Amino acid sequence: MSAESAVLTMDGSRPEPRRRTQIVANGVLGMIMFTFTEAMLFAGMISAHAIVRARSAGQMWPPFGQPRLPIEQTAFNTAALLVSGVALVLAHFAYRKRARQALGPLAIAVLLGLFFVVFQGVEWAALLDEGLTLQSSAYGGFFYLIVGAHALHAVAAILCLVWAWFRLRRGSLSAAQLGTVEVFWYFVVLVWPLIYLKVYLS
Amino acid sequence: MSRRWIPVLVLLLLFFVPGVAHACPVCFDPRDQSNGTFLASTAFLSLFPLGMLGSAGLWLRKRLRETDAEERDEDSPAEE
Repeated sequence: MSAESAVLTMDGSRPEPRRRTQIVANGVLGMIMFTFTEAMLFAGMISAHAIVRARSAGQMWPPFGQPRLPIEQTAFNTAALLVSGVALVLAHFAYRKRARQALGPLAIAVLLGLFFVVFQGVEWAALLDEGLTLQSSAYGGFFYLIVGAHALHAVAAILCLVWAWFRLRRGSLSAAQLGTVEVFWYFVVLVWPLIYLKVYLS
Repeated sequence: MSRRWIPVLVLLLLFFVPGVAHACPVCFDPRDQSNGTFLASTAFLSLFPLGMLGSAGLWLRKRLRETDAEERDEDSPAEE
């Protein structure tokens, strides 16, 4: 008889194996792993941009005939995105107090996120009118590639936030689901200042 | 010469015979700024994933310790 099978409870039955408390929700851990891969995607694109930018040292950057990026307007848009991240932090704490209290801050986070994406779209339309396209130069190519990839992530994360908001309104949003969506949106919010710094300001 | 020296000789040849191709326009760019950026981005891309995984590992360890402490508190008999 093994030592394990010799352990019995007072009434002679074998004790239930003790289940460990889950330290992180599966969704949150999965989203963290996903954001790691996406962070590497952006790190690669930003590094490639930095090298191309450095190789143009002594030459004009942006290249001759290419429009300048709207730094001031995008700074305002960056602030809107950062405030959206703060609103989601408030939603997190509100949820911990009373779930339905998170509806307001979560809605603000969604609206500011939508504002960011729409503002970016308007900016793109203006730049396209001015002649900055994917094919016009490496400058244009990198701009649309990096900012476009971020916009794609922003749209996906906003859809997740909207989904979370509706579930919260129905009273069926779990803390793990909110946490998963939060990780995605924080990633979108936090990667943007780096993109702004490297693409717009460098 | 015994046969066992042949792999050693091959390895030595592999180390010393090839010359640097100087084919990569980034690695062998005469401009300092371009080289510096290339090296910086190489270091960044090498260390960034290690930093992320390390941070995640430390955070998970912290969560594990917190959870263990909570379980111990729940298991310990309440003081009268």
